[in-house]
Amino acid sequence: MKIAVCVKHAVDETELKLDANGSPVLAGAPGKMSSFDKNAVEEGLRLKAKHQGEVVVFVVGTADSKKSLKEALAMGADRGVLVTSDPLSLDSFRVASMLAAAIRMSGPYDVVICSEGSSDTYTGQVPPMLAEFLGLPYVGYAKKIGVEGGAAKLERSLEDSVESVEAPVPFAVSVVSEINEPRYPTLIQIMQAGKKPIEELVGDQVAPLGDYSQVGVKSMSSQPSVRKHVMIGGTPDEAAAKLVEALVKEGVLK
Amino acid sequence: MKSVWVYSESESVSNEVASAAVGVAEGAGAMVQVVDIGASRPGAFSPGGKLLLKGPHPDITPALAAEALARAARELQPLVLLTGATRTGREIAARFAAKMRVGCMAEVANLSADGASFSGDRNVFAGKVVARVSCQFPAAATVKVGSYPKMAAGEGVVQEKEVGEVSDPVRVVGREKKAAGAVDLKSAKVIVSAGRGVKKKEDLPMLEELASEMHGALGCSRPLSADLGWLPEEHHIGLTGVTVKPDLYLAVGISGQLQHVAGMKDSKVVASINTDKDAPIFQASDYGIVGDLYQLVPALRKALASRAR
Ligand SMILES: Cc1cc2nc3c(=O)[nH]c(=O)nc-3n(C[C@H](O)[C@H](O)[C@H](O)COP(=O)(O)OP(=O)(O)OC[C@H]3O[C@@H](n4cnc5c(N)ncnc54)[C@H](O)[C@@H]3O)c2cc1C
Ligand SMILES: Nc1ncnc2c1ncn2[C@@H]1O[C@H](COP(=O)(O)O)[C@@H](O)[C@H]1O
Repeated sequence: MKIAVCVKHAVDETELKLDANGSPVLAGAPGKMSSFDKNAVEEGLRLKAKHQGEVVVFVVGTADSKKSLKEALAMGADRGVLVTSDPLSLDSFRVASMLAAAIRMSGPYDVVICSEGSSDTYTGQVPPMLAEFLGLPYVGYAKKIGVEGGAAKLERSLEDSVESVEAPVPFAVSVVSEINEPRYPTLIQIMQAGKKPIEELVGDQVAPLGDYSQVGVKSMSSQPSVRKHVMIGGTPDEAAAKLVEALVKEGVLK
Repeated sequence: MKSVWVYSESESVSNEVASAAVGVAEGAGAMVQVVDIGASRPGAFSPGGKLLLKGPHPDITPALAAEALARAARELQPLVLLTGATRTGREIAARFAAKMRVGCMAEVANLSADGASFSGDRNVFAGKVVARVSCQFPAAATVKVGSYPKMAAGEGVVQEKEVGEVSDPVRVVGREKKAAGAVDLKSAKVIVSAGRGVKKKEDLPMLEELASEMHGALGCSRPLSADLGWLPEEHHIGLTGVTVKPDLYLAVGISGQLQHVAGMKDSKVVASINTDKDAPIFQASDYGIVGDLYQLVPALRKALASRAR
């Protein structure tokens, strides 16, 4: 079974600095593998463990994105493909078309796995767009995937219900974090990952822009919330009484 | 006249998205049309009348909806398709945009438009930053749920459009309802919210009782609903859950990661209880107590009871 997993090298929101105007300092901002993409890699590895084959990880990003590919390789993926581009200047349509081109070039794949949403921009649009571009059946928000012969049985987690669905193989899927517990690579695996192959493609070459008009960012700003930061001390009973008193004074507790 | 299309799998979300659409239509000199697929739904609001797409089976998957909408759009050429940013709505808008080769804005609020393009605000970097994004018409967008008032149901003319049969290789073979939430967090004045500091599911009733003694409702962080399944999904607050603005938000055993804070930062007053004095939740709080929730929750209940007496 050939399995493609898309991982994003996302901006690490905890490390992201804001300038004096409250705008994020994106140049050189530290990145990390988008949180739920670890679940996507894990699910790919579990499918491989059952059905043999190969797990190939794809990222659209700058050279720094190799870090996320290496992390996925350390977890157990076989090889990586870096599609160079600056994802922050792209919209989901462009990212998905670059991923589709790269996946097509090394495909066909039986399963294409994304996560439900990236930790920095969380659009949830790349996976369904990718499925459209690849012409694959698609199941979003999967919390369970089972493949048997030419068909897959999945559970799809929606806001108010869980759907059981059947899809033919090949198919594309996005996973939610509850689907599995991602493994941590060992030190040896991390060292061995350095030897696994990473292929590089140029995004604008494999998927030219054409006459498509991108979603653009006009401005970015933070909205600092103004809080009082009053710390209440004392024994639990004293602290509780003081808190209740303060909240009543604020008029928020009847 | 050009039109702004509204489609949602949920009538209640459709009524919210219709509110957002009114502003876009005004700015762009267009009219709003609420779209139904397969069968007409009587309730949904539609200032510019309804558009009923005929052909597809009423049991609509996101793939079917997107295909039906795209077929109709190729002929009728709407300026934009707006859906709600639900799990289903995100897929429909994204697929529609991919088929039509148009841009798709995600999870936007505060929409505005001029003749050629429209803009909206969205949370990025886990809610640390708000980005104003824009896109040329024609386009698609998902509207952040909870950011617009619901429009009342209206009457109007129904325009019909035959789009033919559509099929989805993915078959839905079963559907199980998730446990329904007992409370509506969006309208609660007080929310007590539980995080991973709560050690086991059996401890939740203690917090539920505290919430009801404060005339409020119980919410939670994402791990408690999405990962542990202790509470229904619609109880989790944050980027991927609900956005709430109660008078009082009491965070109990919640670390205060950005994704959580994004969903409660507009609360009037925030108080929090956490054993870790460096927990980021204290940065987002008006009142903080460093301590063990297993001591502080009973103490709070006692303090409330003695006040009541
Ligand atoms: C794309 C994305 C979207 C996300 N969306 C959301 C979202 O919508 N909502 C959300 O909540 N999260 C969301 N998350 C997850 C988020 O990043 C955090 O992991 C999550 O909010 C942590 O939940 P928590 O605070 O309950 O748990 P933890 O971070 O584990 O914190 C538990 C806290 O409890 C404290 N504690 C422990 N014992 C006690 C005790 N006895 N008494 C008092 N305090 C105690 C600890 O000091 C700690 O601060 C998202 C993540 C991603 C990547
Ligand atoms: N730049 C990228 N490179 C590789 N995969 C991506 C990229 N952006 C998004 N994805 C995939 O699409 C998922 C959803 O991302 P998003 O649509 O940005 O919320 C991610 O979890 C990844 O699996």
